[in-house]
Amino acid sequence: MADKLHPIIKLAGREFADGNLDRREFLRVATLLGVAAPVAFGMAGLPTPARAQGTPKKGGTVRLGSRVQDLKSPHTYSWVEGANAARQSLDYLTYTGIDNVTRPNLVEKWEASPDLKSWTLRLRKDVTWRKDNRKLTADDVAWNIRRVLDAKTGSSVVGLLKGFILDEFETGDKDDKGVAKKSTRLWDASAIEKVDDFTVRLNGKTANLGIPEALFHYPFMIMDPLENGEFKVGSNGTGAFEMVELDVGKRAKFVARKNGHWGGGAHLDNFEIIDLGDDPAAQVAALVSKQVDMIYQGAITTYSTIERIPHLQINMVDTAYTAVARVHSIKPFDDKRVRQALRHATDPEAVLKVAYRGLGKRGEHHHVAPTHPEYADVGYMKQDIAKAKALLAAAGYPNGIDAEIVCRPQPDWELLAVQAMVEQWKEAGIRVKISVMPSTQYWNVWTKVPFGFTTWAHRPLGTMVLSLAYRTGGAWNEANWSNAEFDKMITEAEGYLDVEKRRAVMAKLENLMLEEGPIVLPLWRSVFNYTDKKIKGYKIHPSVYIEAKDMWIDA
Amino acid sequence: MLRYTARQFLNMAVTLLVVSFLVFALNELTPIDVARKLLGPYATQDQVDILTKQMGLDRSLLARYREYLANALSGNFGESILYRRPVAQILWDRLGNTLVLAGICFAVIVPFSVLLGVIAGMRERSFIDRAISVFSSVCASIPEFALGVFLLAIFVVELGILPGISPLSTSGGWPIWSQFVLPAAVVTLYDGGYLISMIRASMVEVMRQPFIRTATLKGMPFRDVVVKHALRNALITPFTVILLQLNYLVSGLVVVEMVFAYPGFGRMMLEAALNKDIALIEAGTLCAVSVTMLTQILGDYGYMALDPRIRV
Repeated sequence: MADKLHPIIKLAGREFADGNLDRREFLRVATLLGVAAPVAFGMAGLPTPARAQGTPKKGGTVRLGSRVQDLKSPHTYSWVEGANAARQSLDYLTYTGIDNVTRPNLVEKWEASPDLKSWTLRLRKDVTWRKDNRKLTADDVAWNIRRVLDAKTGSSVVGLLKGFILDEFETGDKDDKGVAKKSTRLWDASAIEKVDDFTVRLNGKTANLGIPEALFHYPFMIMDPLENGEFKVGSNGTGAFEMVELDVGKRAKFVARKNGHWGGGAHLDNFEIIDLGDDPAAQVAALVSKQVDMIYQGAITTYSTIERIPHLQINMVDTAYTAVARVHSIKPFDDKRVRQALRHATDPEAVLKVAYRGLGKRGEHHHVAPTHPEYADVGYMKQDIAKAKALLAAAGYPNGIDAEIVCRPQPDWELLAVQAMVEQWKEAGIRVKISVMPSTQYWNVWTKVPFGFTTWAHRPLGTMVLSLAYRTGGAWNEANWSNAEFDKMITEAEGYLDVEKRRAVMAKLENLMLEEGPIVLPLWRSVFNYTDKKIKGYKIHPSVYIEAKDMWIDA
Repeated sequence: MLRYTARQFLNMAVTLLVVSFLVFALNELTPIDVARKLLGPYATQDQVDILTKQMGLDRSLLARYREYLANALSGNFGESILYRRPVAQILWDRLGNTLVLAGICFAVIVPFSVLLGVIAGMRERSFIDRAISVFSSVCASIPEFALGVFLLAIFVVELGILPGISPLSTSGGWPIWSQFVLPAAVVTLYDGGYLISMIRASMVEVMRQPFIRTATLKGMPFRDVVVKHALRNALITPFTVILLQLNYLVSGLVVVEMVFAYPGFGRMMLEAALNKDIALIEAGTLCAVSVTMLTQILGDYGYMALDPRIRV
């Protein structure tokens, strides 16, 4: 540790030594602030996680069953399946592992300024582009960052980094309702600064601890500027594979790069993705007849079949993946007692069992998961029909209420969960009609329907989720929820590095959600997929990111 | 005859024009924002607006339809937003796959169901009639997806002698021909079961006619009675139904295509509709309508050949 340490790390180290900071959180902060992961593991007194499962063998093909979508524009990917294809050829600046710790990738090392506004990214000097063996330079990286932050590109990175580095401005146009249209641009001309040939600095307007994690957001792949933002067969990349075939809706094929890859290259010769459609039965059939070696994600309906098939293995990981039944504050849900009644009428354990075979954890009606470091245990809310009825009566609905919930038919557990809850609510006199809408349609209206069941992805920190989904005016605040006290406390929580301090605020936030909140959160689900036992070197990532270069085959 | 054919084709052209406009207009009602769909739920409204403008989706319905029609008439059916490739490429590929499957199924279903239907119908209430009737009603009453899963359980999971999916590529280690077996079996059993009942009913009807009794009573061998007198008459009614199967086999195989991950026309249309991929929906619909109308014309000529009383 000859390098100068960031002041926060010293502080964090002290808190860690005092026992206030748990190991995992210390690791996360230390690595985020630029201490190389192995060093940070050493500082936290943990062994570096072992990756090997025996000695990797060279050669062979792995075939992944997953949707094969259009891959033309990596920076605007909106689904993980597309990113799982392109990531074989393109690399990210950082890499967040299955343990939620973010490590260097194309960036060898990063440093944050004491105020966390300015981030210096130092690139590895041994990274070359496959086609022409050119070195990856600061110019290449700056071009990519500029491109994803340009509103015209359409990348979801904008939503992630808007507060850090972009300014909103009015375009001068007005929409149909006469509201001025807004767009975004870099807040300052020097926001993306090239320091030297291998160093880029991001100069933000606000402090942000999550920059390294944002650099691993799945559309944030580093492309060759000469490809003009397009990814196709033969496209240049720094990754371990080259895409040699793409037939959208059918198949994509990758072969291992021959000339040196900075990470040591792939063990496999080939990696293929085969489109099996959306039918879970086809996934099982393909695995059983060995037409694919793994599938992207397992469905709850196929779990028990796969358990019985000897050559297959189920990989599972605990996550903060969930779905919430959330209401807008309009009649009858404008009364907080009705919202409370909805929670009291729900039996989360039963929903978990019915809808997700018990593979996960029961929900506690606030959006902070036990896997989040700052999770505070404020107790499990048992189903209490009498109390729900009393609350409804007190709110002026002695005969119960009628409502309609909108949800998606796929994945199957979502509909099952809604059906289970609707049955439970019925007992308390909350009569809810289910309106099923295909996913593609649901995503057009997810923030607009008065009562909906929306899936939420895993995020490493509880504060990230609460800030995204429940802060007044938040980009993804689907419940249109607004509570001044909540807003104040979430900002306070984000300001504490000390997990215990954050947990204390979190307990208040969670209780506030139980009292006032707009959601019923029945379960935290584990994520799982199936692989052939011959595949080694693979562990399931909480976001189901798939890296073929780490896999090898033991036949 | 020539005039009749010409009129039919004119009729077809007008229908296609009307359908193309209706599909375009109805598609507007689908509550999907194409730009939002492409950029995903997490893009900002501003980004969506920019893409909407780039794709020209902010123009009026008529302006877009006029442009589409002009292009279509010159043979350019546009680009699919789902596959980001010219519609013609996708359409011919998927339609080709479906036609192969449909062809195999049709070639098996017709002789198979005519044979069984006639055998069952020529001796009403005999043992063989009962056996065939039970078989056909069981086949026709199990839904396609259930039938698919049953066959999968037997031939893929238990016996392991057939591939579970049919992506029509050899990278799975199974030859292409083997990938047709299960999808074709499901369609043949399901659709064949229905046709057998149809043909049997028609055959029973004919066998009760006075001229059959006459032929039998004058001492004609039973075999000749069936082949020379009954068969042709018994096939007139089912003939239309048989031809209608062509429509079903082209655009109705979506369930089988989903279960077996078969890259066909029905699955393509389903995905196009779910993604509001108007260029693909239009081209696909026009294809399906053309197939329907062509089989109708074919049906008319078939009738004339089978039934001398009908003339145009």
